[in-house]
Amino acid sequence: MFLEISGSIGHMGAGIGAGLVAMGAGMGIGRLAGSAVESMARQPAATNDIRGSMILTAAFIEGVALFGEVICLLISFTA
Amino acid sequence: MKIFNRSQPNMNPYLFKVIKTLSLILITLCISYSLGVSNEHESKSNNSTQTEHGNESKKSFDVSELLFHHVLESHDWHILDIPAAEDGHYTPISIPLPWIVYSSEKGLDFFMLSGHGHHELDESAKQKGYTIVHKGKSEKIKLLSDPENGFIIDFSPSKTVIQMLIIGLIMVLVFRSVAKGYAENRGAAPKGVQSLFEPIIVFIRDEVAKPNLHGKHDRFMPYLLTLFFFIWFSNIFGMLPINSNIMGNISITFTLALLTLIITNFNGTASYWGHIFWFPNVPLPVKLLMIPVELVGIVSKPFALMVRLFANIAAGHFMILALISLIFLLGKGGQSVGGALGIMPLSFAFTLFIMTLEVLVGIIQAYVFTLLTCVFVGMALESHDHSHEHEAHAH
Repeated sequence: MFLEISGSIGHMGAGIGAGLVAMGAGMGIGRLAGSAVESMARQPAATNDIRGSMILTAAFIEGVALFGEVICLLISFTA
Repeated sequence: MKIFNRSQPNMNPYLFKVIKTLSLILITLCISYSLGVSNEHESKSNNSTQTEHGNESKKSFDVSELLFHHVLESHDWHILDIPAAEDGHYTPISIPLPWIVYSSEKGLDFFMLSGHGHHELDESAKQKGYTIVHKGKSEKIKLLSDPENGFIIDFSPSKTVIQMLIIGLIMVLVFRSVAKGYAENRGAAPKGVQSLFEPIIVFIRDEVAKPNLHGKHDRFMPYLLTLFFFIWFSNIFGMLPINSNIMGNISITFTLALLTLIITNFNGTASYWGHIFWFPNVPLPVKLLMIPVELVGIVSKPFALMVRLFANIAAGHFMILALISLIFLLGKGGQSVGGALGIMPLSFAFTLFIMTLEVLVGIIQAYVFTLLTCVFVGMALESHDHSHEHEAHAH
């Protein structure tokens, strides 16, 4: 094996949790960016407003995702 | 984000030059990072073989310890390790930082401790009449005599503090020149470093502050600009070798978020506090229910700011270090040269990608922090006149 796999079931939980968080954040930001780009294409005049609110909302989604990731990181270091 | 899409068709040779220079800088950064990691790794494995002589062949590479060493606070500025010729011993090159201590016995005391590692530091501290207590990875200074009701207050600057002061100094120099340029070229085209920063300052004013602060943006501009440029500069400096990344330290982001909390609540209008303690236009049970929810909301908004900035920057650095650590994991601490060489191109390519991303994340996080501060302060400044009118009509 390249990497020695060792550790408790807590490590496994941290890894699975990180994956789930990434999935959730990806779905959220994907939907957000999808609709934002679509509405920019429909109404190019409003591009700047849409981009601004897109970044703001993406920051909120990312914030929640990073909560999860930080918790997973803490589990992986303490488990 | 107007500044990013001002593309000009006749910029191509210039753009090419910029991209070339940037990629050169990034490759240099990658190499210097990996050199730093290799040095630390070797000194670490050297230490472990010193402590357990029987187990010399197995040099384990501890990724998490390396990550923590890079990200955590320390009381010296570690630069690199130099291998000595004879016994494979590594001498670390680091700048010791001063200790500033106020104690009941000795008053205000200012001294330097020499030596590397716990033992030498302890010896040096004992000569000065102090003792250093190591607890986990943190160091705490105590009086050697340890009197009954004596106290000691530690003001000593750590690596992060020094880095913060350096960034502050650079910002003062840069923005004095920008301000001078603005005064001199009034009505004319900007010159020199002013041309870089003036569009960004105007962008923060027109796109971030003005739409959110209800015409009171002039009062908050100094703070907002300081916030934006401090976070941005810190993130850029965190990417450079030798420098430490201070936004990956949760105490710093905590302080910034605390400032946002204070500014938001000190500027709260009657309507803002009214919405917290007595939510208008809802039945009484809901009013009572909304009080704890809104109180939690006051704290949770800056808390999210704190975690977002910290986690973004720390995660970027973890990722870079983990990718470079792959070389040493697969090289098995110098035993498998093929493994190390095999993973090296992949590791370098990914590190380059992540570093480019981090440069982008650095400015986006500075923008987001400033924008959200504006939004929160704007929410506190807003006065909901319409809701009061409704109440008046109901009466």
